[in-house]
Amino acid sequence: MTALGTSARVVIAEDSAVLRDGLVQLLTDRGFAVLAAERDAVGLERAVTADPPDVAVVDIRMPPTFTDEGLQAALRLRRSHPEVGILVFSQYVETRYAAELLAGGAAGIGYLLKDRVADVSDFVEALVRVASGGTALDPEVVTQLMGASRRTDTLGALSGREREVLTLMAEGRTNSAIAAALTVSEGAVEKHVASIFAKLDLPATSTDHRRVLAVLRYLEG
Amino acid sequence: MLIRIPQEQARQLRRALELVGREPFRRRSWAELGFFLASSALTLAALVVLGAFGLAGVGLTVVLVGVLVLAGGLRVGRGLGRWQRALARQALGEDLAEPEPFSPRPGFFGWLRASLGDRAAWRAVIYFVAKVPLTIFGIWFALSVWVEALLALASPLTGGPGGTRFGVLGRTLGPGHSGGPGWLVNHGRVFAVGAVLFFVAPWTMRAVVALDRGLMRLLLGPDAATSRVRTLEESRSKTLDAATETLRRIERNLHDGTQAQLVALAMRLGQAKEKLDQLDDSAPPGDLSALRRLVDDAHRGAKEAITDLRDLARGIHPPALDTGLENALATLAARSPVPTAVTVSLPSRPTRSIEAIGYFCAAELLANVAQHAHASRASLSCAQHGPWLRIVVRDDGRGGATVCRLGSSSSGLAGLADRVAAVDGHLSIGSPPGGPTVVTIDLPARG
Repeated sequence: MTALGTSARVVIAEDSAVLRDGLVQLLTDRGFAVLAAERDAVGLERAVTADPPDVAVVDIRMPPTFTDEGLQAALRLRRSHPEVGILVFSQYVETRYAAELLAGGAAGIGYLLKDRVADVSDFVEALVRVASGGTALDPEVVTQLMGASRRTDTLGALSGREREVLTLMAEGRTNSAIAAALTVSEGAVEKHVASIFAKLDLPATSTDHRRVLAVLRYLEG
Repeated sequence: MLIRIPQEQARQLRRALELVGREPFRRRSWAELGFFLASSALTLAALVVLGAFGLAGVGLTVVLVGVLVLAGGLRVGRGLGRWQRALARQALGEDLAEPEPFSPRPGFFGWLRASLGDRAAWRAVIYFVAKVPLTIFGIWFALSVWVEALLALASPLTGGPGGTRFGVLGRTLGPGHSGGPGWLVNHGRVFAVGAVLFFVAPWTMRAVVALDRGLMRLLLGPDAATSRVRTLEESRSKTLDAATETLRRIERNLHDGTQAQLVALAMRLGQAKEKLDQLDDSAPPGDLSALRRLVDDAHRGAKEAITDLRDLARGIHPPALDTGLENALATLAARSPVPTAVTVSLPSRPTRSIEAIGYFCAAELLANVAQHAHASRASLSCAQHGPWLRIVVRDDGRGGATVCRLGSSSSGLAGLADRVAAVDGHLSIGSPPGGPTVVTIDLPARG
């Protein structure tokens, strides 16, 4: 966990009281400063404007129409407060939402299924990553984006292990995190990454979120 | 001796004279003449075009291209029918409903099939064929009178013989008079006849146009079967909408209720698990109480999730309904926050779907009473009247309930009305401001 993890400032927008209270309690417990916990998109935008946090946790479906208010608010915040990380937090993954969210770049963007909160440490880690300008995508999001990609032919050229690495990379993980997740050496991961970049004809970069961006750009194309 | 005409008859006579006298000067009479001329021209054109398509189509059938030509001809026929309808609308104000739309399946064969089986197109073609004798009759019976009247009235100016004497008049008036001795008398007579015919012409034309109106309604509007199908389609689409809406509501309830609770539960257990892991390494005693609180919360959350899930399952299909509407309604009333008296008298069980619709109507109405009526008590009655199942929900609240279909204020009552209408039932509301509110629902007991 980075040093930011213990002091990151968070705004929460979630209409379900039980989840909202749970999140506040969990994040406070983990040393985050919860600036505001709102129950709709209007409250979210007001809170962020009043005191911009490091990251906002945003539910997609909120009152009054329970469709995609949260997402629309997140997109607006992206434009008005690009420095605020956005972690969209939903019970479903919709490919279109993910695409819209990532259209302006993957830096400081997260899209997680609510289920992920059960693995508290992973969730907190993802939140910290987004707060510090990184990316956190749910494996489900990555799978869907890969499925929606028109370049399935070239994706087919990847080996099984390379696909796993690509998925984890798109989720925003570093090489060492990928190595830990796959229980292989970091050197092996580096080799896979280089091979993926070569096969997909991607520019090789080192920064975490740039790698994600590169992967996603490729997948969208 | 003076003939005394009774006042009433005199008035009627005057009215009749006024009616006849005014007729040639009304816009309607000239519009009908114009319609007759224009639609005759259209009929002639249709005859030529459709005849050409028909002959070519039949002639070429052996090489299969003929089928295509026939299909094309039918498409043209449908278009001509549309023109005729537009003409009737413009000139006569006759608003004929559009026939069923041409909706071919995708692809060439879909188009061909739909074109050849297009009932509206065939009926339009039949219309134009049937229109031929009607047009001939119209020229003979009505147009001739107009022409004669106008020519005769113009004869003093033109010095012409006055009239052509074709059509119906040839027989009644005899051959036309021409110049020669008694020229003035002759012309006077021609003019007088023309003046009389001028007042007769609108009526003969009206008769012909009336026949055409009948023919158009018969062949250019939607036929009876289509109308019925349309009604059924509308009610089916409302039923589907209602079903979709129900599914949406269930999803919403699951999403906002059980799913959220389970996520929160998993979150708390996840926290507890990590705290337990930490306890193994080094156990600061203060963490134990935090851990206990997490487990307590998780436990309570699990129990709430169970209750919510049970309520939701009941909302999808109340188990009590399996044993009959009586039991289900009794349970429903007992669960209502507003004290509700129930009377049920059902000699036999209605069909399952009617029971379910009746139950959900009652549930929705009682929920409305609890939420909006500010009532102190309510009553729910359910009784069979012959083939009808009548459900009445009454409350002593503030009234003012309406079926509203607009925006977010769209009341549950609109949904109920649709649901009830889908089985040919009926919903009526009596709810004056200040109350009481009485909602009556009649459902066909046998579905």
